[in-house]
Amino acid sequence: MSIVSIKNLTKTYPSFQLDKVSFSLEAGRIAGFIGRNGAGKTTTIKSMLNLVHPDNGEIEYFGLPFLEHEAEIKKRIGYSTGTVNWYPRKKIKEIVDVTKKFYDSWDDDSYRKYLRMFKLDEEKTPLELSEGMKVKVNLMLALSHKAEVLILDEPTSGLDPFSRDELMEIFIKLKNEGVAIFFSTHIITDIERCADNIIYISKGKIVDASSKDTFKEKYTKDGENLEDAFLRMERGED
Amino acid sequence: MSNILRKEIKLSAHILSFLFIGFGVMFLLPGYPVLCGAFFICLGIFQSFQNTREANDILFSILLPISKKDIVKGKFLFVCFIEMCGITVMFIATLLRMTLLSDSKVYLKNALMNANLFALGMAFLIFGCFNLIFVRGFFKTAYKFGKPFISFIVANFLLIALAESMHYFPHMKSLNAFGFEHLGLQICLLFSGILLYLLLTFIAMKQSFVDFEKIDL
Repeated sequence: MSIVSIKNLTKTYPSFQLDKVSFSLEAGRIAGFIGRNGAGKTTTIKSMLNLVHPDNGEIEYFGLPFLEHEAEIKKRIGYSTGTVNWYPRKKIKEIVDVTKKFYDSWDDDSYRKYLRMFKLDEEKTPLELSEGMKVKVNLMLALSHKAEVLILDEPTSGLDPFSRDELMEIFIKLKNEGVAIFFSTHIITDIERCADNIIYISKGKIVDASSKDTFKEKYTKDGENLEDAFLRMERGED
Repeated sequence: MSNILRKEIKLSAHILSFLFIGFGVMFLLPGYPVLCGAFFICLGIFQSFQNTREANDILFSILLPISKKDIVKGKFLFVCFIEMCGITVMFIATLLRMTLLSDSKVYLKNALMNANLFALGMAFLIFGCFNLIFVRGFFKTAYKFGKPFISFIVANFLLIALAESMHYFPHMKSLNAFGFEHLGLQICLLFSGILLYLLLTFIAMKQSFVDFEKIDL
């Protein structure tokens, strides 16, 4: 059963349109949401979280319509972006101390576990952390309230190859614990490394959403890897 | 709702919002427009809105398991909390001037507006205008605060000028009552200020719900 289901999501801006975006996500799977800059990845993610208002479309988590069950659903999901700093001058422990009060399911043992796993120092402020560590703080916040779905907007953008690899390892570990991960990226090697499913968006439209193996079968030609195939498709070549 | 107020105080509030509550003691200053104290308290709250934007507080809040309405309510709760702390300081200062310091020559010869219940009512009105013009203005975009604050400054100083000059108008001398003079009228003026504050804050919050719901972040 799908735990995230997006149907016909449409949002029109003067110079861009998100056009009937549809896909789904299952528990314990990693879905890579790929597309070039400006393809509509962030708009899709923001629509999935009610940060922007789609003109049309249905957004469901755990079989429940998002807008009618917003607070309930937000307790079961986590979001992170690689580009936004929350409270840059507050200590992580202060942010955690306030955040945890909003979640009945907050588990201090899990918090300590992920603090150790991600090698985070709760006395530090986001300003003192690298980009990769900031993503880990967001993951830790989400996982400490037992988020079943992680929605991550460009979590690896700006990270060095070692940090990216470390993050991919964490994704695989979390997937094995049953967490569903939906992450957007324009780095195709990240998708190759850990995604089970690929959702490919171009110019606001979903080109395909299928398993990585099916995707490779359909789109790669002899000797091509995924990156070559995507570049060819983006150039509009057959 | 206590959680959202706690978040406002611990994460998004600026220290100046709390320190500037102390400007309420300006109600003790003789020969000075006492209502400037209310303005400085608003200036302190303004600092927290700057912090809100710099710390991406709105985006963080919207991802918490609360509705957009709750985010607006949280901001208003915080603003009203600081305003009420300010009013408490002003009230104590006014009470001191009306009682223990009522014989003081500097207050008896005060050329400007006396700190009395009418002044407190006007402070409520200034806070109500701040909520309607600035806080509501902020929620139209959730990031632009310059224009709403300038609009508030204009309204605020017009109100202060009006309050300072009204008792010079014919038959309005009793507005500037000293000590317990014209107590009935003064109490009515204070309650009028409170009612206006409640009304303006209620309108500001309702309108902020509508505006904030519409915007894309």
